[in-house]
Amino acid sequence: MADTSRVTPLAATAPVMSPVTLLRIAIILTVLAVWELLSYSGWLYRDVVPSLLAIGRALIDLLTHGEYYFNLAVTAGEVGTALLLGGTCGLIVGITLGANRFLSKAFESYLYYLGPTPKIIFFPIMIMWFGVGPGSKIALGTLSCFFPVALSAAAGMRQIDKTLIRVGKSFRASTAQMVFKIYLPAMRHPIINGVRLGLGVALIGTLLAETKLSNKGIGFLIINAYSTFDMPRMYAMLIVLFILSIGANAFVGRFGGLDTIRRN
Amino acid sequence: MSMTATTPARRFSLANVLPALTGIGTLVAFFLIVELLIQTNMLSRFIVPPPSEIIASFPRVIVEEHVLQRFVQTLGECLTAGVMLIIVGVSGGVLMQRFRLLQQACETWVAALASAPLVLCYPLFLVIFGRNAWTIIMMGFVAGLPPVILKTLEGISGTRKVLVNVGRSFNLTSSQQFWKILFPAALPTIFVGIRLGLIFALINIVGVEFLINFGGLGQLINELAERYDLAGTYAAICFVVLVSVMFFMAVEKAEKWLTRAE
Amino acid sequence: MTPPAAPQSSNEILVVDDVLVRFDTPDGSVTAVDHVSFGVRPGEFLSVIGPSGCGKSTLFNVIGGLLGHTAGVVSVAGETINGPHQSIGMVFQEESTFPWRSVTDNVAFPLELIGMPKAQRIERARHFISLVGLDGFENRYPNELSGGMRQRVSLARTLASEPKILLMDEPFAALDEQTRLLLGDKVLQIQQQLKQTTLLITHNITEAVQMSDRILVMTYRPGKVKRIVDIDLPRPRTSEIVGSEAFGRYVAQIWADLREEASRGMRDEEDHMMQPAGSKS
Repeated sequence: MADTSRVTPLAATAPVMSPVTLLRIAIILTVLAVWELLSYSGWLYRDVVPSLLAIGRALIDLLTHGEYYFNLAVTAGEVGTALLLGGTCGLIVGITLGANRFLSKAFESYLYYLGPTPKIIFFPIMIMWFGVGPGSKIALGTLSCFFPVALSAAAGMRQIDKTLIRVGKSFRASTAQMVFKIYLPAMRHPIINGVRLGLGVALIGTLLAETKLSNKGIGFLIINAYSTFDMPRMYAMLIVLFILSIGANAFVGRFGGLDTIRRN
Repeated sequence: MSMTATTPARRFSLANVLPALTGIGTLVAFFLIVELLIQTNMLSRFIVPPPSEIIASFPRVIVEEHVLQRFVQTLGECLTAGVMLIIVGVSGGVLMQRFRLLQQACETWVAALASAPLVLCYPLFLVIFGRNAWTIIMMGFVAGLPPVILKTLEGISGTRKVLVNVGRSFNLTSSQQFWKILFPAALPTIFVGIRLGLIFALINIVGVEFLINFGGLGQLINELAERYDLAGTYAAICFVVLVSVMFFMAVEKAEKWLTRAE
Repeated sequence: MTPPAAPQSSNEILVVDDVLVRFDTPDGSVTAVDHVSFGVRPGEFLSVIGPSGCGKSTLFNVIGGLLGHTAGVVSVAGETINGPHQSIGMVFQEESTFPWRSVTDNVAFPLELIGMPKAQRIERARHFISLVGLDGFENRYPNELSGGMRQRVSLARTLASEPKILLMDEPFAALDEQTRLLLGDKVLQIQQQLKQTTLLITHNITEAVQMSDRILVMTYRPGKVKRIVDIDLPRPRTSEIVGSEAFGRYVAQIWADLREEASRGMRDEEDHMMQPAGSKS
């Protein structure tokens, strides 16, 4: 895969469109054409594959109404709060486990195995604890993103090159200087990666919770479109949601690899 | 050498058991404290049922709610999704690796898809497949697909140059080169992808069962919660968590066993 | 045979006096450094050489203040060391540049710690970057540099803290032979330019003879001072000296000492390899 990344820029400097771009365009066009054909053929249930025009109209309709942005803000607020709470707890727990062998041996395997369990099943409990409002969604998002952040931070803490710590000590760095100039920068990749995973699962947790029980948020809009059988609207919302979440993920990744240290 | 070879073995018992005991001890202590808080009415039993009640409701839930049947159903969905994952994912990865242009065009798309909340498509799948097991299976399949494709691709492309050159030096044909060198060399990485894919599939399958109130273990939780059977809900959640943890362990063991030659 | 021992004159800037380092292992205690004494004079280049397992890296960490010792005293300009001392600058054997900092920011690191204003520390850093011959690489990141260049960044970083004593632990061990020789030239040149007191830990005889005023030969476990050899070769030196006859004599002399110790070390290791089979029962 390292080869390809080196090949692409070469191809990009070619005067005409590169074969890769052509192929991408061809694939997209084919998919769209097949889609359109399917929608006109009537082989599937009505509206399962709505015409592109209908989806386009739904997209415009969606993006030109304030209602969507209100619900987007609700969901974004829930996910942001969840990431902040779960990420902070995860970071603290992860650094503690990473710094202490005994604690890591005692508790880390629990985190490791609980990490990938389906979190949405805890939603009934969250409703009992935090009510049917945004509280239970935030709680579920927090619970989801705690695990990847904690596990990444613990692993990152252990992976810090011991030599760098010795360098800091040899220059008589204070504890605060050690933390901010050595430990945290040395852990930046695992931490950013953990936050990235955490963001992904917090988003899923919050949205799923919204589809299960809520009266606002993107998840609510999606399940609402389902119950009114408004398929074009549902497609439009899924498209926007995917673009937003992929963008957010790429942003966090770019933010983490900000300088020339990608190869480390 | 002898120092390091013998002494850890001797100390193994104490040094390794103590942290494990601490872990279990903390867990037990936590439950005891919760129990105590509830019994002294400092914590409402209508929010958290006493752990003793949860434990007591285990047999009831297992017998009355047909847990074994549900377990088999969920497992069956997982395995179906798993088989589809392996067939489609691995061959998709191989296909992309064989046609370099295809890989260059689509790899970032697959990677991007891996970071999208695919499970949010479940209402869509409900419309397409109806309220039945296929919605659940397809959701698990779609959610688990990206890691299988990406890891297959990574494994085959990452074959060590020396091994490829060894193949060349024996004048292998391109299909021999693939089946005798590239594919076996990539297997460990492919297994990692399959393990991830299976885990994703399980998470999403149980999740969707819960959300659409259909099928196996996920639905069990939903039903008990809707009946306001507090202790039962907690017990069912514990049970599902235990089952998933055991599933991860089994998949991990299987992967270790399959790659033991490495 | 063993004349050195007791620190004689007060003009020695670094004094290692009767230092003993003992580690407790499950199998009992192991002596890594056994009552070692020597002194380093201002402006001098002293090398400590010994076979692997002679405790020279332990000695490096003790003098650098990163490791405590069981008995004895290490002092710099009359001050007893307990913990890293500002007069001692360490260069490590392992890759030790910060991958998240540019060359300039790496070199400015010690200046940043003492709170020097930004403009000033960048200027200081530039000076030392130029000293190690990395002009033009100020804004590069370590992963864009070769191993030899990275080690030069580490050297510049340590020099930027302007230590009274430069303490280096096999700084060239991970490099290939040619790079190692050329980098040796660079270090020598800088050392003479700055009149930098230097203590080099190494297992490479050629390197030690090429650079040092004196060489301290250590014994295999437990590490004691076997002999101190004065290297009376003309200065300034470069790697070309490696071909001379006098150079060859020094190398031969030190190898004779070292060989005995190194083969003792090998035998010892072989014995250890044999043991587990027997001790398993």
